[in-house]
Amino acid sequence: MRRVLRGLDVPLLVATVLLVAFGLVALASAAVPLGGPWAYVRTRLVHLALAAGAMVAAALVDYRRLAGLSLVLYAGMLVLLVAVLLFGVTRLGAQRWIPLGPLGGFQPSELAKIVIILTLARSLSTPNLPSTLPRLLPLLGHVGLPVVLILRQPDVGSAMVLVAIMLGMLFLAGVRLRLLAGLGGLGLMAAPFLWSVLRDYQRQRLLVFLDPGIDPLGAGYALNQAKIAVGSGQVWGKGVFAGTQNLLRFIPEQHTDFIFTVIGEEMGFVGGVLLLLLFMVWVWRALRIAYTAADRLGMLIAGGIATMTVFHVFVNMGMTVGLMPITGIPLPFISYGGSSLLTMGVATGLLLGVGARRRKILL
Amino acid sequence: MPSERTSRLAAFAVVSVLLFVMLLGRLWQMQVLQGNRFRQLSEENRLRDLRMPAPRGILYDRKGRPLVTNRAAFTVSLLPMELRRPKLVLPRLAAILDMPLAEIQLRLEQARLRPFEPVRLLRDAPKRVVAMVEENRLDLPGVIIEVEPVRHYLYGSLAAHALGYLGEIDAAELASPAWEGYRMGDLIGKGGVERTYDRELRGHDGRLRVEVDARGRALGILGRDPAHPGKSLVLTIDLDIQRAAEAALGEMAGAVVVLDARSGEVLAIASHPAFDPNAFAAGISPRAWARLATDRGLPLLSRAVDSTYEPGSVFKVVTAAAALARGTATRATRVTCNGIFRLGGWVFRDLKVHGTVDFVEGVAQSCNVFFWTLGTRTGGDAMAEMARALGLGERTGIDLPSESPGLIPDSAWKQRTQGEPWYPGDDANMAIGQGWVNVTPLQVARMIAAVGNGGTLVRPHLVRRVLGADGGPSRSIPVPPAGSVAFRPDVLATLQEALAAVVERGTGRGVAIPGLKVAGKTGSAENPRGQPHAWFAAYAPAGDPRVAVAVLVEHGRRGGLVAAPIAKAVLQAAFGPGAVPQAREGVP
Repeated sequence: MRRVLRGLDVPLLVATVLLVAFGLVALASAAVPLGGPWAYVRTRLVHLALAAGAMVAAALVDYRRLAGLSLVLYAGMLVLLVAVLLFGVTRLGAQRWIPLGPLGGFQPSELAKIVIILTLARSLSTPNLPSTLPRLLPLLGHVGLPVVLILRQPDVGSAMVLVAIMLGMLFLAGVRLRLLAGLGGLGLMAAPFLWSVLRDYQRQRLLVFLDPGIDPLGAGYALNQAKIAVGSGQVWGKGVFAGTQNLLRFIPEQHTDFIFTVIGEEMGFVGGVLLLLLFMVWVWRALRIAYTAADRLGMLIAGGIATMTVFHVFVNMGMTVGLMPITGIPLPFISYGGSSLLTMGVATGLLLGVGARRRKILL
Repeated sequence: MPSERTSRLAAFAVVSVLLFVMLLGRLWQMQVLQGNRFRQLSEENRLRDLRMPAPRGILYDRKGRPLVTNRAAFTVSLLPMELRRPKLVLPRLAAILDMPLAEIQLRLEQARLRPFEPVRLLRDAPKRVVAMVEENRLDLPGVIIEVEPVRHYLYGSLAAHALGYLGEIDAAELASPAWEGYRMGDLIGKGGVERTYDRELRGHDGRLRVEVDARGRALGILGRDPAHPGKSLVLTIDLDIQRAAEAALGEMAGAVVVLDARSGEVLAIASHPAFDPNAFAAGISPRAWARLATDRGLPLLSRAVDSTYEPGSVFKVVTAAAALARGTATRATRVTCNGIFRLGGWVFRDLKVHGTVDFVEGVAQSCNVFFWTLGTRTGGDAMAEMARALGLGERTGIDLPSESPGLIPDSAWKQRTQGEPWYPGDDANMAIGQGWVNVTPLQVARMIAAVGNGGTLVRPHLVRRVLGADGGPSRSIPVPPAGSVAFRPDVLATLQEALAAVVERGTGRGVAIPGLKVAGKTGSAENPRGQPHAWFAAYAPAGDPRVAVAVLVEHGRRGGLVAAPIAKAVLQAAFGPGAVPQAREGVP
């Protein structure tokens, strides 16, 4: 406890708190047309308390001991992923939630991100890294199994996050670039197969991303309205609680995946830049913790978390401004959603823990 | 190992920063560079302009009795912006409206540029359809029911050709400068007064600008531009006379025109077969339209103004006037009729042997030999000149969207079109209104009015006053006479005496009404299409005529027997018990 407090990464904590505060304002505004500003904030505060507890716990527990539980964590994750397919609640056409009474539901796919980071970090922290494609296969299977289960829900966004985490961690672990390139080639070859696995609405989203003009009242609707919202914010925004696109409900899922449209519309370019700066500080601290980590395991955990966060931010914000196809993944700390916030709480706690147990040289 | 860690972390950091910079650049582009455009789009998003249709002006008869009004009706419309899953919704809607899917898609396509405005699909929807749309509201996103006024012609086909009918503006009209300011889907007059006075009648549609949410639910009113109702018109038509004319015409194909002989006001204008303009009021179905357009009775044709006929013996008014004016005949001229008229090697045969007739008897008995004699003496060009002076062979200028000029031939015309000189035989033919002479019933009514009123060529018109909208000041429409004929008093006196004799003791005896002095001329016009057309043209009271009437019955054979009784019925309606002679009173 004392050790953790003494080695506390204050900038990371400050960035986290500011991001959470930012998210609360945006959520309050997004909730106005959905039942009043407090409609979601109340539950959000409960989620925050849980996430804060998880963060403290994750920081106090030694990450090495946590990684030692790899097998248990991985098995637990698989059980939950299967359970959600069997007993999960279906919302918005996907079976992603395990019901938890008043807290809403729990998304095992969120937890899977942390488990994959911890278990991959452990596998990759051994000195002898896989140097050929066949040797990489066990790792691919390790990530592929939850990916397939998550795709069954279907939740393409979360599956993509796992793949991104894997690629980022392989890179940071020092796997030969040629091997990574081979992996990329393999992915390209699998693309037609992936296309055939996609559901109609997912294909439509990809086509709309390539040409937003097609079907402006159907699949292109969300994208068009999101862009109008963000663009119409101009430099200073329309003011909090004053975004017409938000208040008149032109944006679907404005409090979860599309919450950045509320920030863009109501706080303008200035708000967007502020948000991006906070994320940059957060990622910078994560990378710094990876750099100063006492061991490869700590470095890889921090690097995995950085990968996950960068991917989330880029894909989520990218989709609201038309840089990326529409995929349902949340904006860390900002989007409404308890599981996502819990994941980010654990991630922040892990970072703080790794940071507090950094290399002695720097002490 | 640490160096590997450093370089990979550094590369990772660089990639992360690049990704963040990409997002930043995109935000700069959208919010700073294109912000204005997106701001405008977001404004348009939340606005919707709802139509508040202006009721069209009412048409009254000259005594203030409404002829055409409006009734409230339901219109099924589609809001393109709110249409979801068109592949599912449109076929469903087509089935409910009993309308081809392609037609709905076409209308949507045409309205592509205005996704916030309702596209009308079915005007005057039956109650059953409205109920079905309401019941299936949830399955028909974007489909709305609007209340719109629909034109109501109180007396059905009465005066249909003069009143006109409505239809949606077509592409050619939209492109024409005459219809500037009109928009796709507007209902406009397609005929009659409805068309001529469309700009007065239609008023201004109002707009209600409301703020809507993404589902199109109105949240509040942002602006209001009230509808300005169209101006109402007081027509010159007298409902009683119009009804009498149509009743007298019955099922016979033909036309009746009744004018105020001094002002040119049209008291009645009938054409049969007719159509019911109510069928067009809410947009006519293609099938019903095809039935009307291909009907061999030509119900859409206004026989009073758009169709021309050989005038036959009613043209003898012109021949007589020309002969008197030229001095080729006088009151004292006598001609012996033994039923045969020889001209060069040709023999013209009359129907009857009239014996020796003077001028008045010649007109009264409509003796062809008499008029052949007059015609060959006077010459075609002189007759043509008099015909034109009396307004034949040219448009009268009536306030209707279309009118046929008819034709008065002369030697120059014949040389130009036939490549032949004018022969004496042409004089003879023209003298009895045959040959190439073609006139409209309206022209004949105006001609007889000019003879009766002493030479004023009136301009027929259908509108007396334009009433101000919302009780505002009304204004009359100034109508200058079209011209005048400088008759010598003796010519006029002889002519009028002869026309009075037609009714007193001649071919027009059938019109005689006790207590009313009627003067006129019968006609039976040979034509290449079948039996002769029956004509009768008259004015009354002779001496100070207030009413002029022309009756044409297609293939009615005998003017005196078929057309004259119709004129009598009309005159009885105009002058009979209870009918106040229509001077300039009776404005509502």
